[in-house]
Amino acid sequence: MNEHDLHDPDAPAVLDALRDSMDGVTMSTPLELIVATGRARRTRRRLATGATAVVVAGGVALGLTTYANPAAAPPAAGDALHIQTVAYTVDRTATGTLVVTWDKERYAADRTGLEAALRAAGFPVLIRIGEFCAGPGEDPTLDPYGVASGVGAVMRADGGADGRVTFTFDPAAMPAGKQLFIGYLNDAQLAVTGGAPGSVERLVPTGVELTCTTVAPPRSPRKSGGEGDATTKRPADPKAPGDRPSDRPTGDPKTK
Amino acid sequence: MEFAEFYGTERDRCLRAVLVVVGDRPLAEDLVAEAFTRAWTAWSKVRRHPAPRAWVVRTALNVRVSWWRRRKREVALGEADDVPVADADPGVDPRLLALLRGLPPRQREVIVFRVLLDLDTEQTARELGMARGTVTAHLSRAVAALRAQLVTEPGEGGS
Repeated sequence: MNEHDLHDPDAPAVLDALRDSMDGVTMSTPLELIVATGRARRTRRRLATGATAVVVAGGVALGLTTYANPAAAPPAAGDALHIQTVAYTVDRTATGTLVVTWDKERYAADRTGLEAALRAAGFPVLIRIGEFCAGPGEDPTLDPYGVASGVGAVMRADGGADGRVTFTFDPAAMPAGKQLFIGYLNDAQLAVTGGAPGSVERLVPTGVELTCTTVAPPRSPRKSGGEGDATTKRPADPKAPGDRPSDRPTGDPKTK
Repeated sequence: MEFAEFYGTERDRCLRAVLVVVGDRPLAEDLVAEAFTRAWTAWSKVRRHPAPRAWVVRTALNVRVSWWRRRKREVALGEADDVPVADADPGVDPRLLALLRGLPPRQREVIVFRVLLDLDTEQTARELGMARGTVTAHLSRAVAALRAQLVTEPGEGGS
């Protein structure tokens, strides 16, 4: 540094002394840690940017579609949609059916994200954990799998070889003024039911106050007598493939 | 210049500069490490900066503000700037650190950029957004304030 612009003749000595007094201050962080941190951060940013771009692209397409259609109508069948996160994917097929897959273990961590994605895709859904809702005056009856009547028309579960459960949602089949309610049993409730059922599905009305309870449905009689494996049914796996009558081949002797 | 070379030659200087401002050695090290990490991720841009080490220090101080704001939201703080300096760092005289931190903020900033980062008056003025003459004036005042503490007069000390 040029200290000639200072009139104080002692300035160079003062500033040298200042510098010297700090000679003992040295960085202990190794270069490798800086680079490794930066590299990890850059990777995360790229992944996040990619995922966001996919979601944003889907959202924009949906926004335009929704604007172009009557409010109650589902998006047009031909509109492309693909949303992918670490917890789930949402795709719209050429027929307008929404295909949603989610990871059994990770689903519960992002249920609000899935809920929002399905709604944005034109499929009205309400998801809760540990509470179970119904519309006023609705028949509370559930089948042994926790499913109320009418649900099968809008939702189907299939299993893949990789262990993921694929749910197929059909927004066109949703009755007007209705939405799908999904209530996952929490851990305490699962301890009682043994995972059967692991969730409740019911079509409930939109725009009205729902009546909700934390009382879980009873354990499925198909689980009684020591049959089945309670540990295989988790909250994110409410309807394991083949567990529902409509999913099993006729004559399938399997019991859960 | 490659990043590794830059880090090797500038890290200590940046740490000292940040330490003078924040007064806390572990915090200063964290801030400078974070700033260098950001420099690494944006190296293609930072390497073209007229004074990359000034970029690092400025970034570290900006990070400190954001960290402080975040912490402020989490816990009620009094004066976050009043970090105790008595036992701040064995590598630096705590009285010196207290003296530097006792300078008016603009004088201290001029010391940091002009002296510890060894920027010239023009670069310092640009980094701090002040006129060249103002840089010189602040530096003169800071030197006057430090002089009695740092310069041993003939006949003083030593036996």
